[in-house]
Amino acid sequence: MKKSYILAILLVVVAAVLLLQTGKATSEYANFDKAAATGEKVQLVGTYVKDKPTIYDPLTDPNYFSFFLEDITGNEREVVLLMGKPQDFEMSESIVLTGRMRDDQFIASDIQMKCPSKYKDEEAMIKNLTES
Amino acid sequence: MQEIQYLNEHLGPRYIGHFAVLLAFFSAILSMVSYFLATQYRSEVLRSRGWQRLGQLSFLAHGAAVFTVIGCIFYAMLNQYYEYQYVTAHVDGQLQQRYIFSAFWEGQEGSFLLWMFWHVILGYVLMVTARSWEKPVMAVVCSVQVVIVSMLLGVHFGFGDSLIKLGSNPMLLLRETVNAPIFQQADYVELLRGNGLNPSLQNYWMTIHPPTLFLGFASTVVPFAYAVAGLWTGRHREWLTPGLRWSLFSAGILGIGILMGAAWAYEALNFGGYWAWDPVENTSLVPWLMLVAGIHTNLISRATGQGIRATYLFYLFTFVLIVYSTFLTRSGVLGDTSVHAFTEMGLEAQLLFFLGFYFLLSIGLVIWRWRHIPVPEKEEATSSREFWMFIGSLTLFMSALLITGSTSLPVYNELREWMNPVYDGLTLTDPEAHHNGFQIWIGIFIGLLSGLAQFLRWRERNFSKHLRTFLLHTGVAVVGAAGLTALTLLWIKAPGIPFKLMLFAGWFAVWSNLDYLIFFLRKDAKVAGSVVSHIGFGIMLVGIMASSGNKRIVSQNQYLMEGLTEDEQLARSTVRLYQDIPLGMEDYIVTFKGDTIEGMNRKYFMDYQRVDPDGRVLEEFQLEPNVLYDKGFEKIAITNPSTKHYWNKDIFTVIMGLPPEEQSVKIRQETEDSLKYRVFPLDIGERATFRDTVDIPQRNSSIIYTYTVGLENFSRLPVHPDYVAEPGDIGMGAVVRATRTGGIADHDTTASVALVLREGLLYHYPAQINDMSLRVKIDEGVFEQLLIKDADLNYREYVLKPGNSIVIDDHVITFEQFVSQPTVDHFQPQEGDIWVSALLESEGQSMQPVFLIRGNQPSGVRDEITSLGLYAHLVSLNPETNEATLRIATAPPQDAFAVPLAVAPKSYRTDYVTLQAIEFPGINLFWFGTISMMLGLLISMVVRIRSRKAARDASVLS
Repeated sequence: MKKSYILAILLVVVAAVLLLQTGKATSEYANFDKAAATGEKVQLVGTYVKDKPTIYDPLTDPNYFSFFLEDITGNEREVVLLMGKPQDFEMSESIVLTGRMRDDQFIASDIQMKCPSKYKDEEAMIKNLTES
Repeated sequence: MQEIQYLNEHLGPRYIGHFAVLLAFFSAILSMVSYFLATQYRSEVLRSRGWQRLGQLSFLAHGAAVFTVIGCIFYAMLNQYYEYQYVTAHVDGQLQQRYIFSAFWEGQEGSFLLWMFWHVILGYVLMVTARSWEKPVMAVVCSVQVVIVSMLLGVHFGFGDSLIKLGSNPMLLLRETVNAPIFQQADYVELLRGNGLNPSLQNYWMTIHPPTLFLGFASTVVPFAYAVAGLWTGRHREWLTPGLRWSLFSAGILGIGILMGAAWAYEALNFGGYWAWDPVENTSLVPWLMLVAGIHTNLISRATGQGIRATYLFYLFTFVLIVYSTFLTRSGVLGDTSVHAFTEMGLEAQLLFFLGFYFLLSIGLVIWRWRHIPVPEKEEATSSREFWMFIGSLTLFMSALLITGSTSLPVYNELREWMNPVYDGLTLTDPEAHHNGFQIWIGIFIGLLSGLAQFLRWRERNFSKHLRTFLLHTGVAVVGAAGLTALTLLWIKAPGIPFKLMLFAGWFAVWSNLDYLIFFLRKDAKVAGSVVSHIGFGIMLVGIMASSGNKRIVSQNQYLMEGLTEDEQLARSTVRLYQDIPLGMEDYIVTFKGDTIEGMNRKYFMDYQRVDPDGRVLEEFQLEPNVLYDKGFEKIAITNPSTKHYWNKDIFTVIMGLPPEEQSVKIRQETEDSLKYRVFPLDIGERATFRDTVDIPQRNSSIIYTYTVGLENFSRLPVHPDYVAEPGDIGMGAVVRATRTGGIADHDTTASVALVLREGLLYHYPAQINDMSLRVKIDEGVFEQLLIKDADLNYREYVLKPGNSIVIDDHVITFEQFVSQPTVDHFQPQEGDIWVSALLESEGQSMQPVFLIRGNQPSGVRDEITSLGLYAHLVSLNPETNEATLRIATAPPQDAFAVPLAVAPKSYRTDYVTLQAIEFPGINLFWFGTISMMLGLLISMVVRIRSRKAARDASVLS
């Protein structure tokens, strides 16, 4: 099976090269400054700034949801999410956005939220369980 | 501290369950050791048989123990024993019986038990059918059972300062897992309620998908065990035949399980698709790919003796990857990269051991036996079938490797962070594009190979003789596939060379396998399964291109936003629909007709009309997407799509959002409370006018409107579109006319409002006038005017005989007579009541205060003549003297009173939904292709089991 060995090795090399290519498809979570510098599509993590204006008015545009996000470095920018306001948005602990900077706004086409587990403490859990 | 004697706990299942878990653990160990020794002493028949016997008995006991644990949990769940933490976590009073299975395997422990359940069943089958392989194979199966049961042990060891937790026991009581003040109460059980099943799992797919998938998961242990057995006992060729049968079974079932998951995602979830390259999906696909690679090298090994080493490796890795998948989904390492991973449960170390042990065992065995594994001297020819099949297997292996690599990014991050805490995690910016980019080439290559290899022959020695036939068939297939691709391109788009190649590869696989079927099926029935699978693969490629590559967002956004890229515009895929107002979207006209609520489930009715460019209606249908509220109607737990299926396409529709007031009763209450109502007391025909300033959103300006509200009519009879009369209702209704001037257009609307008092509660039936964002209702104060309280009245007592009259404040009141058991409006008698009224008359009007004895308690009901301002109670009656004791009061007459209308501007409409609609062309090709792939595997298995039986029968006869 010499030929097969050679082929196997060849394929493993191809796979390895392709996997290393994955390195290009990956990136560290960006922040607003980095996103503005590259202008490319990035993923960034941050937290929702509750005391700045949050606009979602489905009667005006159901695909426009804007809010302020604070990234890891502490910068705050306005984010325009090109879809409706997700469920439980206010409860999110951290938010991962996919999108790009356009001027001062971050245009996000995808959002993932990390919500705290259902019960912060056992007391709350028991309280919930005993309510009929 | 004194022990609390708890009341009403059901501890039976707990004790039995605990005992059964321990029994399952130790009997699995005993069975494993026995089978191990039986294998080791295989040369000494008697000694070996003794151990084998013990192994069989203890495995039977192990199975019984596993069934008992499962039985105990079901017993506690069905009886809703909320003192058990597993029951509180997954069941509640509203859980429908048909979802009890979903609730069982919602938790980690339940799904481990499901996995073990299948291992037990497979073990029993192996004990009957595996014959000479039973001992080593069962030793391996038992070892896996030992590891999995240990996840349920729930034993804690003190080890120095640290506490080692071994497993998580599903039979623990809630009070044993959490510490809360409630457990100071002896009767806490009465107070507990369940948490209930996650609404997204309340779906019939969730009843059948997990058991099928877990049967697939569990069955991969059998080829693995055979491979280990082969290496262990050194019978490197003999295990290939039973190994192949089992791996065909396993691949078929695992594949069907994965597809059911895809179908669930498509039918019940809102992301609009069947595959999202989610880590959990990936880690179940990867073992399947590995197993299929193994099946191909297994076929090669059996036909030619080549590739036994590869077969070993593929089957061993398949199981290791299953364990890896378990590790990824259950250890919490995937964290936020996957929507449906379990949360961590403190089993990480055990899972890591599980993974490490079987990985090292596999590698160790292979290294130990490497030189021992037979390899034919003669190399296979490049023109032989086995050569190209081998290449195909390697490609599948590579595909598995690539998916695993990308999916393991969180693991890589975790490792890096462990070494360097300030390390920032890496992430795939666009996982779907990334995976698709690789897998499309693998799909093309496999598609071409699965066609080409069918035209080649096993152990080709003289290709030049066969060359003509080969070229003929291949040439015809190329032409045929090219033709079919061209036809397909008339129907769907495939921009770019890779997509066109994918279509070509798909059709090539279909064509060449059909060709093969026609020319070879007569000679060898065994190929039927292979042909069905490979045709399925080809059709799947076409189906993916059609349904995913050509999916069309029907609900294209109506609002332009400048400066967006094409992808970003595409992301804006929801539209807003007002009730009863049709909206044109692409070639459809959609009308939101209304909704119904049943329990927590709110179903919406969407009328679809497909129209041609001239506006003629081609067809009509209705879709019913729904949303499910959580228990307290405080939020939406899940939205379920509704899909219209055609043979050549699907129309998929899902609710993306509701008005905030419709999402939560809390918000609705808050919104109602935040409305600034102005109250205008109006007589019939009267009107009131006020002004209000309204901000124009996002424009930094405002507009002043003038509103006029008039009371057109008022009656004691409530009339409102939403009002359904019930006996005992006290209510009133009004017709209101509202106008608004100012702004672009003037509005003028007439609407009904109502207010109803039902069983002590007030129900408002307001009018929401959307044209002017105005809400009108009858103010509750109306009741205060209508119903004057006794405390506000000045009663005086009178003793009268029938026929007597008195004068109070110029009113002459005559006590006419007693009426026994009268039927009156103001009093509704109950069974056993004794009641008498005094008929009083004044100025041609009458009232009948009631004296009532209900359950030996005397009481009374007031009556009144409001237009005269007279109120009367019948306090008591004296049967001997025939006298009545009455309390009578007067008040100003209430003849004409103004109806207080409460009016709130800036009340925004709530009669809309936002909706997404997608058309998936040719999605049935995908389902048909994938299902026939799996069926082909199962057909092959059945054919092979039959031929084995035929061979055995033949050997018995001879």
